[in-house]
Amino acid sequence: MENTIKVERAILSLTQDELAKKIGVSRQTINSIEANRYVPSTVLALKLSNVFGKPVNEFFKLSEDD
Amino acid sequence: MNFKKVQECERTRIEKWSQFQLHNRWKSYGAILCLILFATAMVLKFSDLELGWFKDVVRRGILVCLLVVSLSKEKDEDEMVVSLRAKSYTLAFIFGVGYAIVQPLFEIVVHNIVFEPNPENTFSYFEILFYMLFIQIMFFEVLKRNR
Repeated sequence: MENTIKVERAILSLTQDELAKKIGVSRQTINSIEANRYVPSTVLALKLSNVFGKPVNEFFKLSEDD
Repeated sequence: MNFKKVQECERTRIEKWSQFQLHNRWKSYGAILCLILFATAMVLKFSDLELGWFKDVVRRGILVCLLVVSLSKEKDEDEMVVSLRAKSYTLAFIFGVGYAIVQPLFEIVVHNIVFEPNPENTFSYFEILFYMLFIQIMFFEVLKRNR
């Protein structure tokens, strides 16, 4: 799974910590999602979708090995 | 009660049990008490006191404290921490079973071949439970630090 959360976050001028607080997780979790070390649950993906105002599949993409 | 209701009831109960966790402050209490009991166990081991029952109490106390640490929530508990905890339990289970298989062989080699045979060298439930809980806590902390 690949994602463009870092880009979306930059568009909204949010730090990792601010985004983490908005969706109720830790900053380390946002860092791990951005680095593709952790794939979030559907609930978290939808919370991110609410913050970015975009559908989930615009910032999460399946990679070749998925 | 029909079959579907029984299934639903079982599922709800298991879900409830699997989500059981203690407040974060219990982690510190458990860790401190565990260290105190561990120090007590060390003192008992190297002293001449004949307190078999007390040793048993201390051992059980250590296991309870480790379980409390293991079941305590993190300050910043979120779904990733839950997932890391699940991974650490999996690893602890696998390592625990591996330890239970390998340890008696190791015991035979070390105590019966290298040293003199000793009938007191037995494999206890305390060892395996201590090892599993310790491995779980250790892996969880390592995974959390490297997330």
